[in-house]
Amino acid sequence: MLNKVPEVTLIFWIIKIMSTTVGETGADYLAVHVGLGTGLTGGIMAMLLGGALLLQLRARAYVPWIYWLTVVLVSVVGTQITDALTDGLNVSLYVSTTVFAVALAAIFATWYAAERTLSIHTIVTSRREVFYWTAILFTFALGTAAGDLATEALQLGFRLGVLVFGGLIALVTLAYYRGANPILTFWIAYVLTRPLGASLGDFLSQAQQYGGLGLGTIMTSAVFLVVIVALVAMVSVTTAQHRNGSVGDEA
Amino acid sequence: MKHSWIALTAVALVATGAVAVTYFMPVAGAVSQAEASAGLGDISGFRKIVVDTAALVDKGDLAGAKIRIKDLETSWDEAEAGLKPRAPSQWHAVDKAIDGALSALRDSAPTVAACKKALTTLLDTMDSNGTHD
Repeated sequence: MLNKVPEVTLIFWIIKIMSTTVGETGADYLAVHVGLGTGLTGGIMAMLLGGALLLQLRARAYVPWIYWLTVVLVSVVGTQITDALTDGLNVSLYVSTTVFAVALAAIFATWYAAERTLSIHTIVTSRREVFYWTAILFTFALGTAAGDLATEALQLGFRLGVLVFGGLIALVTLAYYRGANPILTFWIAYVLTRPLGASLGDFLSQAQQYGGLGLGTIMTSAVFLVVIVALVAMVSVTTAQHRNGSVGDEA
Repeated sequence: MKHSWIALTAVALVATGAVAVTYFMPVAGAVSQAEASAGLGDISGFRKIVVDTAALVDKGDLAGAKIRIKDLETSWDEAEAGLKPRAPSQWHAVDKAIDGALSALRDSAPTVAACKKALTTLLDTMDSNGTHD
């Protein structure tokens, strides 16, 4: 089995940040504007995620459109889990942030105990893939809870949010260059890109009277979706070329 | 791997820079720190929809009221990221009152009395947590 996940490149982070925005606004659009309600929307999204995960687990190699479709849907479902706890069950964001952080740590501990590695470059067995996607689901849930907590408890707002989360990512990068663990810094950055992506999406979509650019959620999501599709198409072409050019050397 | 970290930092810094530029520019209608104690600030646009809905309920037009209050649901939801950080607890109070009005009007057998009560509660909640002209 070939490594089933992409190399971490510039395009990787751009698509990751943008899928966060699309994940949040897309689900919101179905629930409120289309009027399906949060329960039905959640059910539909969980089913779609199940289908995408099945495709991803069955694929023999890394297929960009399947991988990124799964990430977008994990983003939607991860966000919905946090929202259901906060809005539906009135769970405090302090509690959910703590619980998700502990759960994520437990997932990494189990993953390490079973595999003796957390390397994202060796997702080459089905069991590692399940650990990988479970961890990703919880990074989105944690990122949503921690991001909302920062917005509400600290009253950051999305403009200050972009500054703070962008700054934290810069700090994590600095730590990486100073010799911090590459796997650890990768996952911390992965969690932080969730609130960064959400703040960025809010900044583009919110009305000017609130300090946004006033593009609206529909326009913002549509633009991001088009960019994601274009980038994934581009990655698909280079992946295919790479695979044809150097058989067996696919990383 | 190293290369991608440089790239991620570049993305983060460009985004941060773009927002930083606007952050320090004055925003028309935005609440300043001093005004923040006035709760959510001017929410007259949302209040107008509630007044319209209440007028329809008074006329006995519950179906029309149900359609009109959908405008409140969508516009309130779209403004969440902008409004909530101004005053989170006030936002939640109004949000809860909106939910009450929505469920009264969307009840399988809605009554004028229950809708009126929910809309009156909503108007009171809006008036004690925000301002309007």
